[in-house]
Amino acid sequence: MKVIIAGAGSVGRYMAGQLQDSGHQVTLIDNDPAIVTQGRATRTPVGVTWCLGDACEVATLTGVGAADADVVAAVTGDDEDNLVVSLLSKQEFAVPRVVARVNNPKNEWMFTDMWGVDVSVSTPHLLTGLVEEAVTVGSFVRLLSLEGGKARLAEVTLASGSPAIAKELTELGLPRESTVVAVLRDGHVVVPRGDTVLHEGDEVLVLVAGGVEDDVRRALVG
Amino acid sequence: MVFRRRKQSDDLTVATVCEPLATLISDTQARQRVCVCGKVTRMTARPTAGQPALAVSISDDTGTVTAVWTGRRAIGGITLGRRIAIDGVPVMRGDHLEFTNPGYTLLPR
Amino acid sequence: MHVIVVGCGRVGSEVALSLASTEHDVIVIDRRAEAFRRLGDDFKGATMVGVGFDRDVLTEAGITPTCAVAAVTSGDNSNILIARVARETFGVEHVVARIYDPRRASIYERLGIATVASVAWTSARVLRHLLASETTHDWIDPTAKFTMVERRVPAGSAGMSVASLESASTGRVALFGRFGESSIPSPATLLQEDDVLHVIIPADGETVLDAALKLPEGAR
Repeated sequence: MKVIIAGAGSVGRYMAGQLQDSGHQVTLIDNDPAIVTQGRATRTPVGVTWCLGDACEVATLTGVGAADADVVAAVTGDDEDNLVVSLLSKQEFAVPRVVARVNNPKNEWMFTDMWGVDVSVSTPHLLTGLVEEAVTVGSFVRLLSLEGGKARLAEVTLASGSPAIAKELTELGLPRESTVVAVLRDGHVVVPRGDTVLHEGDEVLVLVAGGVEDDVRRALVG
Repeated sequence: MVFRRRKQSDDLTVATVCEPLATLISDTQARQRVCVCGKVTRMTARPTAGQPALAVSISDDTGTVTAVWTGRRAIGGITLGRRIAIDGVPVMRGDHLEFTNPGYTLLPR
Repeated sequence: MHVIVVGCGRVGSEVALSLASTEHDVIVIDRRAEAFRRLGDDFKGATMVGVGFDRDVLTEAGITPTCAVAAVTSGDNSNILIARVARETFGVEHVVARIYDPRRASIYERLGIATVASVAWTSARVLRHLLASETTHDWIDPTAKFTMVERRVPAGSAGMSVASLESASTGRVALFGRFGESSIPSPATLLQEDDVLHVIIPADGETVLDAALKLPEGAR
């Protein structure tokens, strides 16, 4: 896949390295000459193409081949820049997948298809979710928002009073717009099938679309 | 702009709106900048996450595309049956092409 | 009218000061309190420290659909965010955004946001876009019989041909701008919402022009 990453801070460079290692073709854009010069000189991350420029400009995006990129990731430390890069990528280049980083959670509401964002990632939000997940048993914890908020990955650790315990997945009555993606039990992953029986303490990872979150919560939490 | 410029004299360029350089919808491809002409055959409000958006279907004899204008509820002159040219880079959505906030030109009836 | 000016730089402060001396009430928002020094000690309007595209900040600044918003910070991206939030989240119609990079202007104009390029930038022009009751004359001929004025086409006049506007206003559309690009229109060109027109009219012909363009009386 051809991936363009806007923002060569620690997040952007880390992503670039990982993706390039996985065999994708990665270009990193940054406006800071010092960062780009160093990146080119040290050739880190390995194999990544560097571009010095303002990713919020159509000319820069054209120059790095946004017209045939598969993914654009807008991960600068500036929410305004990330939104504008996303809008241009979607509107001017029809990039199939646009991922954007939310720096300030107060701005998260804008990171939707209104600005061309397919997936937004908010580190503070994720961290809160992970903290909640670590300390909460029996609550419905949202981990990740997909498709501009239309789908969510959530997690519930089944507490002793959960209506889902000792039931097979097919008996849970989960709504159609949801699906159990994985069950984590005693340190390993159980791939869920219709006849998988849930136990107390299981961490159930569920993908929820649309407005059925409440129904899923009722089925797993009570 | 979606219409051709015709030189009236050496230092004057005049826009002539009646000769748009358009591609047939059936010949359009995703991710290529293109101009298509057609009639507005459908208009829908498509609010997402509380923000308004207007989705307009445009058809010529060979097919239909959708143009979505984010953050708008209506655009002056764009009504059912109106002939219109749009210019932008479409994305493939399901089985048809979709333009986001394209340039547009109202065409004479 | 309640006017919110975001950005207290040179132009933002000029706009705010002009407004404060009229019957409109103005509030200036800037991220830094030091910027308000430009307003001087006698500034009659209000100020607020905050981020101009933050919904809570705008709500506290009294944003409503009938107010006007000028996004005139030093950053194009901020100005576009402010303009879109004002228009799309709060339903404000009179919004203008200052754009330094003319190449971006065309993209933003397609979002239906009135942009004013830095080069053509004057506080008078911002006011004209915002209030639509101020008038700017691009040019007045030496005999004072004709003048050229700028107008933005309202949604209600979309579809009207240049020829019919010219005959209804006894003027001539010298130049028209659409999606950030300018050209000389042919008589058959159909006007579209937000097109920027530079029209030569008789010196006393503004009312007739505005009626022809179906611009509301008194809010040209």
